[in-house]
Amino acid sequence: MTVTVERGGRVVRGHHRHHGRTTRPRRPHTSYALFLLPGVLAFLAVIVVPFLMNTGVSFTDWQGVGAPKWSGLANYRELMHDSEFWASFRHSLFMVVAMAAVPTVLGLVLAAALFDFVGKHFGTKIAAVLRACFYLPQVLPIAVAGIVWSWILAPDNGSLNELLKAVGLGSLQQDWLGDPDVALYSVMGVMVWVQIGFPLVVFMAGLQRVDPQLYEAAELDGAGWWRRFWHITLPQIRPEIYVVLLWCTIAALKVFGAVYVLTKGGPGGATDVPSYFSFTTFFEKTQVGYGAAISTVLTVIILVLALIGLKLQTRAEDAEEGLRA
Amino acid sequence: MLTTRRRAVATAAVALAGSLLLASCGGSDSGSSDGKTLKLWHYEGPDSAMGVAWNEAIKEFEAKHPGVKVKFEEKGFEQIQKTAPMVLNSNDAPDIMEYNKGNATAGLLSKQGLLTDLTAEATKRGWDKKLSAGVRTTSQYDTNGVMGSGKWYGVPNYAEYTMVFYNKDLFKKYGIAEPTTLDDLTAAMDTFVSKGITPLANAGAEYMAQQYLYQLALSKADRSWVDKYELYKGKTDFHDAAWTYAATTFADWVKKGYISKKSTSLKAEDAGVSFIQGKSPILFSGSWWYGRFQTENKFAWDTFLWPGSNLTLGSGGNLWVVPKGAKNKDLAYDFIDITMSKKIQNLLGNKGGVPVGADTAAITDPKAKTLIADFNTLSGKDGLAFYPDWPVAGFYDVLVSETQKLITGSEKPDAYLSALQTAYDKGAPKT
Repeated sequence: MTVTVERGGRVVRGHHRHHGRTTRPRRPHTSYALFLLPGVLAFLAVIVVPFLMNTGVSFTDWQGVGAPKWSGLANYRELMHDSEFWASFRHSLFMVVAMAAVPTVLGLVLAAALFDFVGKHFGTKIAAVLRACFYLPQVLPIAVAGIVWSWILAPDNGSLNELLKAVGLGSLQQDWLGDPDVALYSVMGVMVWVQIGFPLVVFMAGLQRVDPQLYEAAELDGAGWWRRFWHITLPQIRPEIYVVLLWCTIAALKVFGAVYVLTKGGPGGATDVPSYFSFTTFFEKTQVGYGAAISTVLTVIILVLALIGLKLQTRAEDAEEGLRA
Repeated sequence: MLTTRRRAVATAAVALAGSLLLASCGGSDSGSSDGKTLKLWHYEGPDSAMGVAWNEAIKEFEAKHPGVKVKFEEKGFEQIQKTAPMVLNSNDAPDIMEYNKGNATAGLLSKQGLLTDLTAEATKRGWDKKLSAGVRTTSQYDTNGVMGSGKWYGVPNYAEYTMVFYNKDLFKKYGIAEPTTLDDLTAAMDTFVSKGITPLANAGAEYMAQQYLYQLALSKADRSWVDKYELYKGKTDFHDAAWTYAATTFADWVKKGYISKKSTSLKAEDAGVSFIQGKSPILFSGSWWYGRFQTENKFAWDTFLWPGSNLTLGSGGNLWVVPKGAKNKDLAYDFIDITMSKKIQNLLGNKGGVPVGADTAAITDPKAKTLIADFNTLSGKDGLAFYPDWPVAGFYDVLVSETQKLITGSEKPDAYLSALQTAYDKGAPKT
C-alpha cells in the first residue's frame, strides 16, 4: 500500500486507487474485515434494522399499540399534499442557511482573523481562549441554551428588548419568538450562535497545517490579507470546508432541540421543522405510521444530500490530486 | 473452509449480532410475581399534595401488608405518556401506574386491551359511590376507548378544576371590588387597561390561551354541548353560537388589551410567574397552581369561579391504572383502596389538593376549605366540562398553534373556527 505525506504533513493514503500501481494483499484485507465486523453489526442493529422497521411502519396506519393496518403508500400520498409538512421543510432550508451557510462563512473569517491577526499579534494563548469562547455554545446542552435564549428574547423584560431600550433603539423592540414574521429569524439567529464554534475550530485546525512558507512568499510578493485569504487559505482548507458544510447541513435538516425548547414550532407553525413535525405526529397525534413516513422521507433526503456532498468532495480531491500528479 | 480460529471469531460475531439485535428490540426482565412486591410508578412531585399523600399511602400500605415491599419508581409525565404503550406491552409493566385520563390516553390503552378492567373492584370496594358523575367520567371507557361509559379502567383519587385567581392588593389599590358577574370582570379589566396594566396573565405557547377560549365557549354552553364535543354524542359545529362567541370575544379581548399580544410565545410558567410577581392582577387557570400560589404569593389573593357560567374546565385527576400484564393485581387494588381512604384524602386536601372523598370537618386550612367548597359547588351542579384538547389526539397542538394565530391577529375568528373544525373532524370518531 502506498502512503504519501503531503500538504504540510497530512497523511493521504490510498494512491494505488488512483494509479493502480499496487495490488491489494489478500490476507490483510480479510483480517481487517474481521475487525470491522463489530462495528458493522452494531451499525446493523442500531441504524439499519430500526430504519427498515421504521420504513415498514410507514406503510401502515398505526396508533403505536395494537396491530398495525397495512395502508400501502397512503401515508406518502398524504405527505405529498400536506402543506404543513412542506412548510416545515421550507423552514428547514432557512435552517440550512442559519446552521451551515452563515456559520461556515463567519467561521472562515473568524478563524482566519484569530489565526492571522490575534494569534500573531496577541499570542496563540489569547487566540485559543477566544476560540474556546466561540466553541462554548457547542458544549452547552441545547435545552439549557434554549431556555437562556428564551429569557433573552422574552417580549417583556427580555434582555434584548431591554438593551435596545437602554441604547435608545426602543423602536426596534420585537416579540422575537411570538411574532410569526420574526420568530423564524430569531431561531435562526440563535442557531448561528450555537453553530459558529464548530466551523471555527475545524478551520483553525485546518489552518495549522497550511505551509507558512506559502503565506511568506505571498507576502513578499506584496499580497494583502484578503488576497492571501482568497488565494491561499481558502484553497488549502477546502477539504475542511466540505466537511463542515456537509456536517452542518445534515445538522440543520434534523434540527429539533432548539425548536422544541424555543418555540415548539410556533407561533402558528411559523418555526415548525420536519423532525419536530414528525415528533408531534408520532407522539401527540399518535399517527405512528404517518410520523414514520415523515422521518423516512427526511432520512432519505439527508442520505441523498450526504452522498452528493461526499461525491463532490471526493471528486474535488481527486481533481486536486490529479493536478498535483 | 473456515479455520478453527475464524470459526471462533465468526461464532462470537454471530453471538454479538444476536445480542445487539435483541438489545435493539428491547430486552426485558421477568418482573415480580411473588406477591411480595408492589411495583408502583407515578409522576407527582414529592412536595405536591398528591406526592405527599401517595407517599403516606405507601407507608400505610406497607404497614397493612407485612412482608410486602412497595417498589416505587418516580417517573416523569412525558416519560410515561410517551412510552406507556411499549412498556405495557412488555414484561416490565408495573403493578400499578399513574396515567393521564382521556380518550387519546387511557382510552386508547383500554381499547388496545393493555389495561385491566376494574369494574368489579370499583363496585366491590365502593369506589363508584365515592366519585361524583363528573369525576367518574374519566374512569370508564367503552369498547372504542371513548370515556364516560363502559368498563372501569382507572380510578382518580383527586380532582382538578379551573378558577379565576386574582390579586386582592391590586384590586384594592385601584378601587375594584371582587367581580361577581362577567360585566364586573370586564369593568375591572377596563380599569386595569386604563392604568396601563394588562389584566389577564396568558400563555400562548401552552394550554392557558386555549383554556380561556374554552371557558368563554362554556359560558354559553350546556352539558349536552359538552357531551357532543367531548363524548361525540352528536355533531360539533365550531361555528355555533358558543364557539363563535368564544373566538370573537377572545380576539376582542386581545384588541382591547385584556390579553397581551406579546403573550404568544409565553409558557404557562411565564404567566404563573407574572401573577406571582404581581405584574398580572388576574390569572385564569387550574387548581394545580393553588399550592404554589399559597407558598409563593407575597400579596393577598383569592379565587372565584368564572362568573356567569355553570360549566368550567376540570375533571377527575390522573388515574391509577392496573396494566393487563401486572403481576400483583390484588395488591394494586389494595393500594388504590388506601389512597381512597379518608385519612389519605384528608391529607391530600390539607396539602392543597382537591380530594374526591375527604371529610369536610378534617380540612383545617381555610384556603383549602375554600378550594374544596368551590369544587363541591361545581361538582354538585355537574359543572366539570373537561379540557378542550381531549376529544382528538394531537388537538392540543392544533389549539396552541391556531390560538397563537388568533392572538397575533394573523387569523380571523371565522378562519380560526374553520381550522379547528377541520382538525376535529379529521380526528374524531365518526358518529
